Amino acid sequence: MTFLIRRISTTADGREIVRTANIAKAQLTLGRDAANDIHLPDLALDPQHAVLTSNDGRHVLVRASGGLRFGLNGQSVSEANIDAGDGAELRFGGHRITVALDGEGEGQAPAIALTILRTDELSHSALDRDEADAFSMRGLLPGRRVSAWAFALLVFAAFLIAPIWAYTSYRGVEERPQGYHADMSWTSGPLSSAHADLSGDCQSCHTRAFEPVTDNACKSCHEDVHDHAPVARQLLARGDPGAWRASLIRIGEMFGRAQGRCVDCHTEHEGAGPMPATAQQFCSDCHGDMNQRLTDTPLGNAADFGTLHPQFRPLVQTLPGDPASMRRVNLAGNVTDQNGLKFPHNLHMQPDGGVARMARNLRINTGGGQGMECANCHRPTADRTRFEPVDMERDCQSCHSLTIENVGGINRTLRHGQPDQVVADLYAFYRSTPPDRPMNLGGMARRRPGQFAEGQVYNIYFRETARRPSRAEDAVRAVFSRGGACYDCHTIYAPGAGSNRWRVQKVHQTSRYMLHGWFDHADHLRMAVPGQASRTGSPACLSCHNADRTATASQLMLPDIASCRRCHGGENSGKAVESPCASCHEYHQGPRAGAPWQPSDERHRRDNDRRREGVTSVTDAILRRLYAG
Amino acid sequence: MARTPRRAAAQDERQRDTLHTGFLAYANFRWLKILAVICVVAIASYLLIDITPRHNGGSWYGYTLGTVGALLILWLTMLGVRKRAMTAGGWSLKAWVSAHVYLGLSLIVIATLHTGFQLGWNVHTLAWTLMMLVIASGIWGISVYATLPAALSNNRDERTQAQMLDDIRSLDRQIHEAAQPLPPEEAAIAIASLDQDPFAGSLWARLSGRYPKCATAAALAQLRYGGDDAAMEKLSGLLNRKNAALGRLRRHLKLKALLEIWLYVHVPLTFALIAALSAHIISVFFYW
Repeated sequence: MTFLIRRISTTADGREIVRTANIAKAQLTLGRDAANDIHLPDLALDPQHAVLTSNDGRHVLVRASGGLRFGLNGQSVSEANIDAGDGAELRFGGHRITVALDGEGEGQAPAIALTILRTDELSHSALDRDEADAFSMRGLLPGRRVSAWAFALLVFAAFLIAPIWAYTSYRGVEERPQGYHADMSWTSGPLSSAHADLSGDCQSCHTRAFEPVTDNACKSCHEDVHDHAPVARQLLARGDPGAWRASLIRIGEMFGRAQGRCVDCHTEHEGAGPMPATAQQFCSDCHGDMNQRLTDTPLGNAADFGTLHPQFRPLVQTLPGDPASMRRVNLAGNVTDQNGLKFPHNLHMQPDGGVARMARNLRINTGGGQGMECANCHRPTADRTRFEPVDMERDCQSCHSLTIENVGGINRTLRHGQPDQVVADLYAFYRSTPPDRPMNLGGMARRRPGQFAEGQVYNIYFRETARRPSRAEDAVRAVFSRGGACYDCHTIYAPGAGSNRWRVQKVHQTSRYMLHGWFDHADHLRMAVPGQASRTGSPACLSCHNADRTATASQLMLPDIASCRRCHGGENSGKAVESPCASCHEYHQGPRAGAPWQPSDERHRRDNDRRREGVTSVTDAILRRLYAG
Repeated sequence: MARTPRRAAAQDERQRDTLHTGFLAYANFRWLKILAVICVVAIASYLLIDITPRHNGGSWYGYTLGTVGALLILWLTMLGVRKRAMTAGGWSLKAWVSAHVYLGLSLIVIATLHTGFQLGWNVHTLAWTLMMLVIASGIWGISVYATLPAALSNNRDERTQAQMLDDIRSLDRQIHEAAQPLPPEEAAIAIASLDQDPFAGSLWARLSGRYPKCATAAALAQLRYGGDDAAMEKLSGLLNRKNAALGRLRRHLKLKALLEIWLYVHVPLTFALIAALSAHIISVFFYW
């Protein structure tokens, strides 16, 4: 029995070399050991790996000798019976052995041919490879071109296509649902706290694509905002913007950004929290030298409260009357406000005068002060910004009594504010109250004549009784004349002969003199004028209102601008209180200016300060926190 | 025209200087000076120009900086096109790279001032962040180009890459031969070493040079506890030599990877940046 062994090897230049050997044996051993008939130097094989046996020169029985198997036509087996005529392919480690019948049809006995070829490289490093590839990072990372495209498309999809899709899918929708919308990634910064709830609804302001935000978008919520002034006058007041700004404006208008939009001033996306307060410069650009452009303006130039601001022009009554005749007058100089009242403030403020003594006796001033305090008569309004009108019954009457008699412990008073009733009451009083009946007048017993003589009791009593009505007339006259209860405080219009129609000048107490600016008394309860001790109570009031030196009620006691400037200056003035225009003035004011807008945290701080004032401790935990915050 | 020897020498000198000067020092740091001027002008104008309520990308000044920045980014990207066409002279590739580096650095100032320091979680800050990452990777690239080639050269020890690989191939053949007499269990140790791809390993292994799953190192560790017959001794010696050869190859791969990795960040992020920049520009005018 002969096996034909063909070994094929490859030279370095790729040429194949075939070595042939005949082995005349019925049984061949195969393995890594050099003693084998078929020696395969392959570490993957056992030293004695398999035995090949053929008894008939055609069929080969292959049997693994050790534990390792071998491959037969792609399958792993430990024993195989092969018909060499059919052929088969065996695999031992990295070697392939093709089994075939050789020499058939040539007149000689066919032999089993085993063609041996090393198919696998003996090591991984021996594999062919492209040097540039192997030594670079290719294969470890996606290629640069691939990742460039992938990143770019990802960014486009997430930050361009998705937002535009969000925009188109909510067009015409009144309000977007809560949650994330892709165009929120386009925000250029958080919205201010006032608009924070619109953060997810870009289209509430950006109504149309590629169109700047319009005033209509703002006015859909802010319905009652007043214009600062007619637009034509505003533009006139603004004056020549200069070549540079004009070109910027022109470029803006080319792109549809009209001048004077709400968003020019109310810039958004500038960060969470309250919108920033308006800078003084914003106002002074126009108002600093406005009279040069708006020559007919009644307003004085104003650029900085400390250095350029007109004197205050309070609205005062030039003539008393009903209705009063009102006029704005410059506060410089001696300004009177004909409010119709006579009231010497200085008398009431004297710490040791008669008024002070009476106040002490009546214990009016519970605070333990010496004389009268401002707060004895002047009570703040609910918002503590201004003061309630002085009320005669509440604030004056404890001293200035209108009592005419005491009936059973109850004081009967004249009716304040109703002169006709006063007249009628006095008449009624004198008619219904005869003089005290003398004891010696006697009862209803018959009297002797002569007792009616002059100087006698009867005469005195009954003459007095008979003259009673004309005494009333005198009393009425007295009440309305010098030294009388009404005359002391009021201007009286005496009636003509035969008439009893006494009239009292109507008193008009002004609670707000400056309608275009805002002054909050609550912020001035403690006065700390630089260079002076901090004051509260009446001294605080007196630091601006010279009530202790004012003898007449018509003398207006409003402080002028110089008084304010002791503490207040313009923006960055270094004064104790830096007050830009917006501290007192509201830009969008209506006919009567309200409190100027303030950032909400500032407002909260002030509200809390007011709430805490005069409170030393709070017993409830929740409220305590509220007071603390 | 005849050259005087003196002038010729000066010209040669100049030429040599030009050839040997790196892109950083090109033309006596011309672009570094331009970078300094750009930064000073940008910062000074930022401080002097009053934008209400505060600086932001949407003011005229912001638009100006943004336009300059965007055009710069596009021009810097063109280096990828430009480098494929080499020319000499004033606009040589070296000049371009020098301008690319310094103008790229100037973007840190220009684009950051454009933001007005208003950064947030949005597409605008995404574009800025990508730009900063691109610039950072560029700075990393320059720094490794300045430092690593010397280490690479030292490690190579005058071998080419092919020679390094051939060393290993040769050792593998010898290991294969030496393991022939060994019984299967011990041969398996050698097989593991032979069958492992010397270039295998994760990105991290490549960058750190640490290969904890190295079969050769494992084989050595195993053989250290093995017997002391001659065949094993020989195999052990061969594996030691292979381990050293692998070490050199891997250090080489690590240095090359460190030299290359920045481009895998720089280039793809540049394209992501251009996409984000486009989205940024479109978005601000879309929601104006």
